[in-house]
Amino acid sequence: MIRNRRGNILTENIIFIVLNLVFIAILMLFLFSKAGNAAVLEEKYAKEIALAIDAAEPAMTIHLNMEDAIEEAENLNLNQIVTIENNIINVKLREKGGYSYSFFNDVKVNVNFDGENKEYYFVIEKND
Amino acid sequence: MIKMQGNKKAADKIISVYWFAILFIVAAGIVFMVSSFYGKPYEVREIEVGLLADKGADCVSYAGFLREGVLSQEFKDSFLEICDITFETEDSYGWTDESEYFLQLNFYDFDSYQNTNKNSLFEASAGNQRLQNFCQLKGKGFPVCLERKLYILDKEGKKYVVKINSIVKKIEKNSQ
Repeated sequence: MIRNRRGNILTENIIFIVLNLVFIAILMLFLFSKAGNAAVLEEKYAKEIALAIDAAEPAMTIHLNMEDAIEEAENLNLNQIVTIENNIINVKLREKGGYSYSFFNDVKVNVNFDGENKEYYFVIEKND
Repeated sequence: MIKMQGNKKAADKIISVYWFAILFIVAAGIVFMVSSFYGKPYEVREIEVGLLADKGADCVSYAGFLREGVLSQEFKDSFLEICDITFETEDSYGWTDESEYFLQLNFYDFDSYQNTNKNSLFEASAGNQRLQNFCQLKGKGFPVCLERKLYILDKEGKKYVVKINSIVKKIEKNSQ
């Protein structure tokens, strides 16, 4: 009888601990999925690139490691993730979506992708 | 003895119910905080407005000296083109109807700058002038304003104070 009771206590405790661990794991997953969300990354990189270009001068090259964004954009053409038209940056990591932000520095920006280092580099030139 | 054991079991169940209630409250709190943090846009206007002021300063001075041709009508008329600045924005939230930026440069004589009735010797500005009206207001949902002063010399050694006012609105994509 005593042996059986001990067995019950152990099982209950294990279930209790497992449930708690599951709960913590779900919370952590939620947290990481929110932080590495494609929409959040799109906004982050669009603004980061815009500010870097605003601070840049012609003849400069800006290197930006976007490994996390590249991993998020699985099915997209890597040359299409970051596009710059006139003075508007668009970062697109999803089929339906994307984030645009403008910069005030009137320069010509060439966007290039370095597949080896998984980084984008932006060549700043004087606008014609 | 049997009664006591029964009470203990019931107490254990109550504790576990309370425990899961606490877990639920903690989870709800974390979900709420994370959602409200990541649901808001990144506020970058403080940096942007500083960069705009720097751009204006670089445009009129180099190594502490006034650039050639700055105090001229031509500079005033094509201020943005000369300084390589564009105030075009993306077509969202009606941003193309009115400029989201404002930049103003006021030149004062250094010696008379401390006077209360100082007059600007030269002024060049571009963008949405109406944004200046919001600079006195504090809180979220207003344009971000920055005022900077710069001391420069011209070729003859005349001293100037340049007051730079830069404003960035872009409220919808930065503050909610």
